[in-house]
Amino acid sequence: MISLSEFLIFGGLLFSISVAGIFLNRKNVLVLLMAIELMLLAVNVNFVAFSHFSGDIDGQAFVFFVLTVAAAEAAIGLAILVTLFRNRRTINVEDLTEMKG
Amino acid sequence: MSLYQILFYVFASVAVLAAIRVVTVKNPVHAALYLVLTFFSTALIWILMEAEFLGIVLLLVYVGAVMVLFLFVVMMLDVNIAPLREGFIRNLPVGVFVALVMIIELALILGPASFGLDIYPSPEPAPADAGNTLAIGQVLYTKFVYPFEIAAFILLVAIVAAIALAHRRRPGVHYQDIDAQVRVRAEDRVRIAELDADKTRRGDVAGDSKANQDKETS
Amino acid sequence: MTLASLNLQPVLPEIVLAAMACLILLVDPFLPKRGPTVSFVLSILTLIALFVITLVQMDDSVRMSFGDMVVNDPMADLMKLVVYVLVAAVFVISRTYLRQRGIDKGEYYMLGLFGVLGMMITISSNHLLLLYLGLELMSLALYAMTAFKRDDGRASEAAMKYFVLGALASGILLYGMSLLYGVTGNLMLTAIAETVAAGEDSMALKAAVVLIVVGAVFKMGIAPFHMWLPDVYEGAPTAVTLYLAAAPKVAALALVMRLLVDGMGPLFYDWQPMLIVVAMLSMAIGNVVAIAQTSFKRMLTYSTIGHVGFILLGVLAGTNEGYAAALFYTIAYAVMTIGGFGIILLLARQGFEAESMDDLKGLNDRSPVMAFVFLLLMFSMAGIPFTFGFWAKLAVLQSIVGVGLWWLATFAVVTAVIGAFYYLRAVKMVYFDKPEDTSPIQADVNVRGVLILSGASMLIFGLYPTGLTALTAGAFGL
Repeated sequence: MISLSEFLIFGGLLFSISVAGIFLNRKNVLVLLMAIELMLLAVNVNFVAFSHFSGDIDGQAFVFFVLTVAAAEAAIGLAILVTLFRNRRTINVEDLTEMKG
Repeated sequence: MSLYQILFYVFASVAVLAAIRVVTVKNPVHAALYLVLTFFSTALIWILMEAEFLGIVLLLVYVGAVMVLFLFVVMMLDVNIAPLREGFIRNLPVGVFVALVMIIELALILGPASFGLDIYPSPEPAPADAGNTLAIGQVLYTKFVYPFEIAAFILLVAIVAAIALAHRRRPGVHYQDIDAQVRVRAEDRVRIAELDADKTRRGDVAGDSKANQDKETS
Repeated sequence: MTLASLNLQPVLPEIVLAAMACLILLVDPFLPKRGPTVSFVLSILTLIALFVITLVQMDDSVRMSFGDMVVNDPMADLMKLVVYVLVAAVFVISRTYLRQRGIDKGEYYMLGLFGVLGMMITISSNHLLLLYLGLELMSLALYAMTAFKRDDGRASEAAMKYFVLGALASGILLYGMSLLYGVTGNLMLTAIAETVAAGEDSMALKAAVVLIVVGAVFKMGIAPFHMWLPDVYEGAPTAVTLYLAAAPKVAALALVMRLLVDGMGPLFYDWQPMLIVVAMLSMAIGNVVAIAQTSFKRMLTYSTIGHVGFILLGVLAGTNEGYAAALFYTIAYAVMTIGGFGIILLLARQGFEAESMDDLKGLNDRSPVMAFVFLLLMFSMAGIPFTFGFWAKLAVLQSIVGVGLWWLATFAVVTAVIGAFYYLRAVKMVYFDKPEDTSPIQADVNVRGVLILSGASMLIFGLYPTGLTALTAGAFGL
């Protein structure tokens, strides 16, 4: 059978990839938003895995809420992106600060 | 290797490879499509963990709505990709290094030593009639009723914010005005022109319309 | 579970606020001309009503509801009262500014109220999920408010940065929460504390602490994760900056208190060193970098970073005296900040943003009263004796000296002395430099009133700090 550890490492891989993605795409806000979605997915994998192995449904309920919030977040993020694009004709946020994951 | 294990490793490797592509491809449209693939494979892994409801919600909400929104914005903005790639190559070594360090650290923390099968044994498979949706529904509307209401307000804020930020009336664009449509009366659309039956000759159209105009003004 | 067993009374303020925000949402579109004014008045009335409700409910008991998910302890009540007052002051002071820039819309006040709802939920949560939802509700409203001036490229850019960094911080915080849930098997903060105190100890728990501290510190804009803060505060319309800089800091303190003290209190010796490092970095960077700023708005932002470092000192003392000092400092900081950024609103007018240090020159010639208010605010920020800020700094320093961190207190005093330099330089500009712009100040009675109140409170609480000290001490059962 698959152990909890394997599910968690799968989540950890997604988390690491999303952090690396934020490092790599500092200028491309669209991909930054996608990397953030990926990060929330990694969190959700953790919650589902812990919930499955402990038999406690609360973790899955948490995921339900994270999905809701992530959808709202994506909507606002894209709305801000649209206003930014209308003002600047680009989505290049120059030197998006020093990211220290 | 059991079928369960084979399925897990197939889905997990597809998800991870697609995730890597999300952050490395040039074209944002491709990135969005790879993200869809990642979500899809992850949803399958969740279903392997008997979280069917969340797996399906992930597909419906994420792949069905959020990713479509992403694609919609990507297409709408008509982004020039080239300048956005600046610094990608320069940051690549750092990015890869950070990712590797994080993966090694997380693997040490989350490894079999602390979360192996001997410490967290695999749970008994749920019986065939067990309802994951039912179980979530039961806590969602009792124990989590307060967070549930708050989630509703979060969605409301998202709606208000998105409309306040992105909606604008542009001059020269025709909108459907439902008020006006409902309020319209027959007289606004149809004009009953009374014509004398014996005067209908083709050449007399001009005279007809003139007669009508006279009638309207009177 | 029946309706009666829900015990809705402790969350009455939240329910009233949510209902009123919805009412404003409905009323506003039907009054195209007077909508903003009606929304503004309704918002202020709502905040007053909330103040009364919370004040009536306030006592020394701890009231739990929704299966112990929501906790209303004296700390929560006091923090909520402070939030109402701060947000009401911000709404009043920013009215004219918003109108002159064409962003005085009903949605603005509504988003502001939803932000308050998020803060209230964060402040009284005893559950990881509520903490997260409250934080997100607040953050989403703040992102939208930052971008509210839609035709301003600077504001959109600031909002984009704020959004990306804020979402990243939430992601890191959530990952930490997921590990905490996995290790302790619980989402309830008090239950987590019990499990941890029972001797649960693993690498994953340590990782959870690190991730949660990093996420929280990132979200609060504390050094070394502060780089986004000056850009956001500078880019946002000044009225929004006021909102961002004041009330959310109270919620941020609540977040830290709930997560670290209530939830991971037994792990004190794991998170204390991390907080010491970030507090030292914040105080040093905030106070040193502020000297080099030519923009007054940016200077105040760096001063914010320094002040937040001081607030953390109280938390990392790990005693009730320390927590009370941190809350006292937060209140002092928030009132000073409203005054500080309020000065920019005072000098701004239609089509002109008074963000540069040069705009302060010769304020005394233009308005002696406002110049004196400014003097009080700057003295208080610098921590000059017998001002509000002095007692705040003193309380925090006493608390860390009380746990034997002499060297940290010395370091904090050194940074405060460095910080005093640029506050006094600003005062010098106001009193001794010739004004570059001699036009009379156009700000209306709203702005002047709030500024005078804020300046007066520097003096009142500076001379009679005991009342507020007793209140904050009472919030932690002292």
